[in-house]
Amino acid sequence: MKLTLKVWRQQNSQDKGRFESYQVSDVSTDMSFLELFDVLNERLINEGKDPIAFDHDCREGICGACSMYINGRAHGPWHETTTCQLHMRAYNDGDTIVVEPWRAAAFPVIKDLAVDRSAFDRIIQAGGYISVNTGNAVDANAIPIDKVDADAAFAAAACIGCGACVAACKNSSAMLFTSAKISQLALLPQGRPEHKQRAEDMVAQMDKEGFGSCTNTGACEAECPKGISITNIARLNREFITAGFTSK
Amino acid sequence: MKWSQFFNTSIGKKLLVGATGLFLCSFVIVHLAGNFSLLKEDGGEAFNTYAAFMGHNGLIQFIAWGLKIVILIHAVIAIQLTIRNRAARPVKYAVRPGNKTSSWYSRQMAVMGSVLFIFIVIHLSQFWWAMHYGDIGKVSYGAVTEVGNLYEVVWFAFKESWIVALYVLGMVALSFHLIHGFKSACQTFGLNHPKYNGLISFIGVWFFGILIPLGFAVIPVVIYIKQI
Repeated sequence: MKLTLKVWRQQNSQDKGRFESYQVSDVSTDMSFLELFDVLNERLINEGKDPIAFDHDCREGICGACSMYINGRAHGPWHETTTCQLHMRAYNDGDTIVVEPWRAAAFPVIKDLAVDRSAFDRIIQAGGYISVNTGNAVDANAIPIDKVDADAAFAAAACIGCGACVAACKNSSAMLFTSAKISQLALLPQGRPEHKQRAEDMVAQMDKEGFGSCTNTGACEAECPKGISITNIARLNREFITAGFTSK
Repeated sequence: MKWSQFFNTSIGKKLLVGATGLFLCSFVIVHLAGNFSLLKEDGGEAFNTYAAFMGHNGLIQFIAWGLKIVILIHAVIAIQLTIRNRAARPVKYAVRPGNKTSSWYSRQMAVMGSVLFIFIVIHLSQFWWAMHYGDIGKVSYGAVTEVGNLYEVVWFAFKESWIVALYVLGMVALSFHLIHGFKSACQTFGLNHPKYNGLISFIGVWFFGILIPLGFAVIPVVIYIKQI
């Protein structure tokens, strides 16, 4: 396949940035999207040019590093797929693909397609933990937990913090991420004692980082590579409202 | 967290928008129920006595002024949130997903809300202002004291096809605003449960989103047709 790539190039956070076009020929349909960038970068390095900076780590869909906004879609067109798991068979010969970084005030561009997602870390640091040592793993069933709740907590814990929810949201809202992190703890008994303080602190930090608010369009859920549901956002709202009305 | 902090967070503000929005949802039901008396061809007796009651009952006047304040609170906080949301993405995407990841109307709440606000201003200046401060004709029905003939004002206004079109357009905006608005407010309150989601969606889409705006829109159209 022969493809035209229009890639966002930005020297640093101060640079205004611009699109640059690259022709790539001999693209195999078996290549992953990141391998396409590897091939292109190899060529750029051989030509003595600056390679395109992009984040990647595990390349098996679980680290959440590969943030690319491809033709208007976070992580490309495939459902519940990260960029590294997106393969070039999704495209046809002669296609033009526009690749942009996640765009959010809270995610400043470091270079080209790499953005700084430490705002997510600070939301976790604000309360996404249990502050006492809960000890070793206890015997199964020593703490009774409803299977439905255990499964819901597990589903929320599948969040890899990739930021696709923020990238896909028209308001750059981090509600899906924050709600997943709050839910995984709120649904389990170990997370209950601190649940009010956690909801208040994490929401306050989320606002402080400059993320937008949620208008319930559902775009985050549609683009989440781990299929995190917006029922978590409703749970976050319940947690936060309960905390707001009853915290001391 | 203090109340002042709580209502300054994004969720606290959304809660206010949702609560005022649900109050306004309850208002449109009452308003529509009263409007249907406009279609009764009794020379306006049912509608005019209803309008006179609404215009003079102390409790209803109190609620009516509260309503205007609620609309302003709803709009002002929604504008604050929209400004914050716009600022959260200073550089826009070159390519957008269109309707692939979200519905068109769910992204147009601010636009539909603005259209509705303009509609409400026009609507109030046309009828509410005429009723309270304008010079409209008086009628009396039997023993009842003289009342303003708002019925005549309304029927006269809806002789004009462009005014009818304006009202239908306003109701299209109301429809899109409520199809998303009711469900969205419920989600903001945390009301999301597999046993009730179907009902919430049904009420939001079919009752508030379609039936109510359709009921409002039918009235000027019928009055227009009857006067051709």
